[in-house]
Amino acid sequence: MEIVGQNPNIISARDIGLVACTRCAKVWPAGTQTCARCGSRIVSRDTKSLQRVWALWLVGLMCYVPANLYPMLQTRTLLNVQEDTIVGGAIQLVHHGAVGIAIIILVASVVIPLGKFMAIAFLAISVKRVSAVSKHQRQRLYEVVEYIGRWSMIDIFVVAIMSSLVQLNTLAAINPGRASLFFALSVIFTMLSAQAFDSRMIWDLQSKSEGPPADD
Amino acid sequence: MTETPPPVAIETVRKSLLSRVSMVWAIPFLALVIALFVAWQAFDARGPLIEIEFANGAGIAKRQTELRYRDVSVGLVEDVTFSDDLGSVVAHVRLDKGVAPYVDAASTFWVVQPELTTRGISGLDTVLSGVYIQGSWDSIIGPERTRFKAADEAPLFKSGQKGLQLALRTTPGGTMTDNSPILFRGIEVGRVGKARISQQGNFAIAEAIIYEEYSRLISPSTRFWETSGFTFSVGPSGAEINFSSFATLVGGGLTFDTFVSGGDPVDDGAVFEVFADEPSARGSLFNASEVETLEMRVVFDSNIAGLAVDAPVELSGLKIGKVQSVSGVIDADAFGDNRVRLNALLSIQPARLGLQDEVTPEAALRFLAARIQEGLRARLASASLLTGGLKIELVQVDDAPPAPFLTGEGIVPIIPTTKSEISDAAATVEGVFNRINNLPIEELLNSAIEFLNSAEAFVSDKDLRETPQDLRALLGDVRGIVTSQDVQNIPVTLNAAIGRFETLLAQLEKDQLATRLAAAVDAAADAAKGVTASVEGVPALVSELEAVAAKASALPLDELTTQLTALTTSADAILGTEAARQLPADLGAALNEINATLAELRQGGAVTNINATLESTRQAADAVATSTQDLPALVDRIRRVFDQASATIAGYNKGETLSRDAQAALRDISKAANAMTSLARMLERNPGALIRGR
Repeated sequence: MEIVGQNPNIISARDIGLVACTRCAKVWPAGTQTCARCGSRIVSRDTKSLQRVWALWLVGLMCYVPANLYPMLQTRTLLNVQEDTIVGGAIQLVHHGAVGIAIIILVASVVIPLGKFMAIAFLAISVKRVSAVSKHQRQRLYEVVEYIGRWSMIDIFVVAIMSSLVQLNTLAAINPGRASLFFALSVIFTMLSAQAFDSRMIWDLQSKSEGPPADD
Repeated sequence: MTETPPPVAIETVRKSLLSRVSMVWAIPFLALVIALFVAWQAFDARGPLIEIEFANGAGIAKRQTELRYRDVSVGLVEDVTFSDDLGSVVAHVRLDKGVAPYVDAASTFWVVQPELTTRGISGLDTVLSGVYIQGSWDSIIGPERTRFKAADEAPLFKSGQKGLQLALRTTPGGTMTDNSPILFRGIEVGRVGKARISQQGNFAIAEAIIYEEYSRLISPSTRFWETSGFTFSVGPSGAEINFSSFATLVGGGLTFDTFVSGGDPVDDGAVFEVFADEPSARGSLFNASEVETLEMRVVFDSNIAGLAVDAPVELSGLKIGKVQSVSGVIDADAFGDNRVRLNALLSIQPARLGLQDEVTPEAALRFLAARIQEGLRARLASASLLTGGLKIELVQVDDAPPAPFLTGEGIVPIIPTTKSEISDAAATVEGVFNRINNLPIEELLNSAIEFLNSAEAFVSDKDLRETPQDLRALLGDVRGIVTSQDVQNIPVTLNAAIGRFETLLAQLEKDQLATRLAAAVDAAADAAKGVTASVEGVPALVSELEAVAAKASALPLDELTTQLTALTTSADAILGTEAARQLPADLGAALNEINATLAELRQGGAVTNINATLESTRQAADAVATSTQDLPALVDRIRRVFDQASATIAGYNKGETLSRDAQAALRDISKAANAMTSLARMLERNPGALIRGR
């Protein structure tokens, strides 16, 4: 399998009448309902996977809208109360000269979530349609999406740590804004959406388009 | 061979919708439902938008400035715009739905800003949080309204605030501090709002509120007065400065008191007058409230300075009005000549006259008209001796000439005048000042200066300084005389004389010249008579001496020198006087007749003469004794003279040497005098001894 990445003629387990347990990776003959080893249910392809992907993706996107409209952080000092949205805060940081931090925040809170939405949508669409992107690249993309998804929570961590540390009564206090909840929800739902994607489907459609593989 | 089983028709069972569609779609559906619900709820909870017009922005920020009611946020400024003509700032305020119905046409709004006043700091919280808009409305739902005009400052009567609402107006012409606290016993019990000037402009009126818990303090007999600023008085107990509180010192304030207890509580909208100070407020209590004044006029024949506007007009010592204006008037028709007269316009307060029935200017005019018919006249009188201010007094003048009194529409009635009474006190004071002015103070001072100069010159005079030396020289002379050999030789001479006298007697006895002796005695008697006559001059001399001495003792310093000199000369004269010399000569002549041996008597010098005198006295027997009865007195007087001289000299003691010398001399003189006294006594006791030599 170490040469799989370079071989265009990839044979999936389904093609050779096998099905693998997604939990313990034991390969069974096609049609086996339950893994005899770990007892988990075995399906060759999860037919409802895409529905779950799209449903969760939609919720994540819905949450992402208020996450950007509402203030993420409420900074209350002696003199005034300042509420900043994610983008607004980043712009302010740029004004204050902290360009690097602004970039980090923008990447973690805007670029990555938006990229995730697009990547998941792309993957979900590409299993039904012919795509110019190769299966390997899409598999790589899926792995990156799954891996990077959790890092979007860095914004939430920052808000959580800041608001727990900076509580100086009347002098200054930082409280999480309403957007933090929506942002967290958005991240959670996109991660769930990514997990719901059955990455085996990446290989199916292309297999069909490339013609039935030769029987052994 | 196994038979291939017949193909089983595989019937693809169409799965139900439920099994085909994942349950996961419930999540976005639920999310959508929640979102829609929240959106609907937010929309539903939104109150109406009202517009409040402000003169300026005053720190109103969109989405930040709150609208508060009783210090609770009930709205938020959503937008701040300008009015169409840029004439004002319009704040669009989103109201909370709950209070929106109450925000009706009667609502007021104002901006609360930090304020530093004499009463303290208010709105301090807005320094940190920014300004906010305070709204005030009642709890009754009224006609709806969406556009309001904000008040410039917080209204005095806030809706919902309980208290007694009053109107305070100044006395005509008085002043008032508005926007200030109303204090009672130093406690703020209310506030005066912004004052406005009445339409006629003769008084100011302001709304005031007495907080509800204090509203029972107000009754119809309550009087308000100003406590602004401070009073400074100098009295028997020292200087006093009074002010009620720092706040009123700077910002002014009002206070009140109810001088008469009881009285019904007043209702909202009652009008009270504000007096200038407590005495006038207190005084007003017993007068009917001041009504419109009666204008009258007085024309004085001469234009006299000192009558000023606001000078009092008094009737029997009671102030009933004041001078409103003073002007000159020339009215040839009315007065018959073109002289300038003093025309004073008086405003008389009918309330002060104490009219019983109706207190109106008309009633006051009727009253005064009747009194003028009876002889009421106006005159100028001194109001103050120091300032020379004048007042107008209305006095009853008996047998006053009748004066016309014109009344009617448009005529200011003239009060007839009588002789003014202003010159007396002023003239007296002026006279006193004139007399003080006329005192020859300069001459007096010049004399004093001259006198002091003379005294100085006299004291530093060379003659005066030399006086002690002269005196010492004189005393030295006197001592020289007293201690001279001649005087000391007196006893020796006396003894010798007695011895010779005895020899003479022995010769007489031996010669038995009785007849001659008798004749001699007769001659001696005659001589003694002459001696007596001559001695009679001695008392006069002595008295003269005494007078001289008295003069010397009584002499002031400036005559001391001359008197001392005179005394010295007198003493010299006494010692060298012709009479004194003559006396011994006479005695000697008498003795010469008795005894030729006495011819040896020394001649020249007063002492030798005295010696001779004594010698002849020895012969003079009873006559001599009689004559010598004056001697002790003489000696006494001489001694007294010298005592006085001693006292004088002691008083003039300038140096110890002089003093010692003088004392020594005086002692010597005293001794001599004593010796003479004892001699005289001896002669007095036993004149015969002199003759007999024992």
